[in-house]
Amino acid sequence: MIIAILGLLIGIFLGLKLNITYPAKYALYISVAILASLDSVFGAIRSSLEGRFNTEIFVSGFFTNAILAGFLAYIGDRLGVPLYYAAIFAFGGRLFQNFASIRRHLLEKFRSRVATRQGE
Amino acid sequence: MKIQSNKIIILLLCIILGFFTAIQTKNVQGDYDFVDLRTIMDLKNLIKKEREELSSISELIMSNKNRLLEYEITISKGGSIRDVLVKEHDQFKAISGFMDLEGPGIIVWLRDSDRELYEWEDPNNVIVHDLDVLIVVNDLKTAGAEAISINGQRIMGTSEIQCAGATITVNNHTYGQPFIIKAIGDPNTLSAAIKSPESYASLLKDFYGLGLEVEVYENIEIPKFNGDISWKYLTPKEGE
Repeated sequence: MIIAILGLLIGIFLGLKLNITYPAKYALYISVAILASLDSVFGAIRSSLEGRFNTEIFVSGFFTNAILAGFLAYIGDRLGVPLYYAAIFAFGGRLFQNFASIRRHLLEKFRSRVATRQGE
Repeated sequence: MKIQSNKIIILLLCIILGFFTAIQTKNVQGDYDFVDLRTIMDLKNLIKKEREELSSISELIMSNKNRLLEYEITISKGGSIRDVLVKEHDQFKAISGFMDLEGPGIIVWLRDSDRELYEWEDPNNVIVHDLDVLIVVNDLKTAGAEAISINGQRIMGTSEIQCAGATITVNNHTYGQPFIIKAIGDPNTLSAAIKSPESYASLLKDFYGLGLEVEVYENIEIPKFNGDISWKYLTPKEGE
């Protein structure tokens, strides 16, 4: 978890420092892809808290989800149907689910620690 | 060691995620609005249209400049501006149909068919209709005819080709068949437009059996329009 936050901070720092731009018409696809990867990261944190973290699943999910989400947004744009909503709802919903279970795990940990303290 | 590599991978992917997030926020900068491809297409079309309009306006400017230059040249040569204006006036008269014209062209004769009707066949099939004449005239225009007359009536912008029973009314004059259509223009293209196997005239001749003749002439004459035109609703736009 700490590592994830550290990585995010380094990434944001790099992104702000390096001067990279791309055409504004790709902004939507990239933002949907970012949402998908964010979901993957939250899923990774959750599974590591649950003790069943798997690197392959995380890495493959990170990239394929991002690519699929961006591709979906592009296809939807081509067809005239806002398909990127599908990606937003799916990944956004899962994001909150993951966050909820992370919260629950952390609270449980905290509670058990308090209980052991009191037990001493 | 396993845990260590996991941590490195998580670190790397988080760096990627943060990197893209930062780039995205930097790129978007608040005024981001979702623009779909259709909107982009519409805007492109709009730009294209405006550009075309601009180019046509600049063409207009060029032609006006040329005209001005012509006036100046005539004046500098000692001629009067009147000559230029008279020449221009004649040109407009020729184009609009108020002047007798001559030139190379073709003459088309359209006659009702003299074949026997089949049993139960509609007699309309063997009669020349106003629409037939209209389409032939349009074909001639497409082939680059510069002046057209039907039975001596010059076809102008306001000329009608109207069904009147077995006859056709052109410029308020009614004529029976045969219909003699004269057209000044490139004789080869004009006759090709009538004679070619895909043309409407060939359909009339070969399918319905109507009488159709085409002759090419070195010099044909088309008389001017001799009615009068009165305007009721029309006023020239100011500033023209």
